[in-house]
Amino acid sequence: MSTADCEQQEAGWGILEDLPGDPMIWVLIFSELAAFGLFLGAFVVARLIHPAVFAAGQAALDSRLAGLNTVVLVTSGWAAAHGTAAARLGKKRVSRGWLVGAMALGGLFVAIKLVEYGGEIGSGIGLETSTFFTLYFLLTGFHLLHVCLGIVILAVVCRRAEVVGVETGSAFWHMVDLIWIVMFPLLYLVR
Amino acid sequence: MMPDRLDMTWIVLIGLALATILVPSLVPRPLLANALLLALAAMKGRRIVLDYLDLRAAPALWRGLVTAWIVILVLLAWLGSAAVALI
Repeated sequence: MSTADCEQQEAGWGILEDLPGDPMIWVLIFSELAAFGLFLGAFVVARLIHPAVFAAGQAALDSRLAGLNTVVLVTSGWAAAHGTAAARLGKKRVSRGWLVGAMALGGLFVAIKLVEYGGEIGSGIGLETSTFFTLYFLLTGFHLLHVCLGIVILAVVCRRAEVVGVETGSAFWHMVDLIWIVMFPLLYLVR
Repeated sequence: MMPDRLDMTWIVLIGLALATILVPSLVPRPLLANALLLALAAMKGRRIVLDYLDLRAAPALWRGLVTAWIVILVLLAWLGSAAVALI
């Protein structure tokens, strides 16, 4: 492949190139937002069909733990954003410190969510308890998988702490944050 | 050290998150509480899009698409809750 071909290939992302990080992560981000959007839309429609079942299910959830997790994830996003800012200034060591903080808070989010699941399962609630809990476990479980994947991505980009890598990992992390911000009130609080 | 934009966004997000947790106990009317909760979610989402996802300086198309994702979902959720209240 000639140099010209390489340059043409690198310049082949069009307007996606104006976004921070690797353009490929934005293809993934838009795909994930579409998938979660459809899933959350289905949750709203199912609630319309079974309002009493959803009200009873929601009453059994621990919204305080979920609220605490919102604070944890938002703080983790703040650390990741600082990690990106430091990487852009060429401060790799500082960037790594922020990213490790973001990952630790991500780990705390996972731990709190597992405690929450433990309480629910301990009180006899499961995937087949009701339509509400089927959707609740699938939605939050799918999101939790993304949190775990995000921690792995941040760990990978943290090693070299290069600008594009850190921007790419952080963009995925903020998407996970954004989805939780919309999911939390919808599942736990909206009556 | 003065807080920068990222710090200010974090402070705003924490404030909005705490307000979200308090709304159900402070606002007894479900439709109003739901509207407030979802408006708070939209505000948090917007700050994340602009300052954390860093789309403030990105082409309006991308900023608009992600913002539209937030607005459509919170509107759908509010309309759904209003319909449940009317049933």
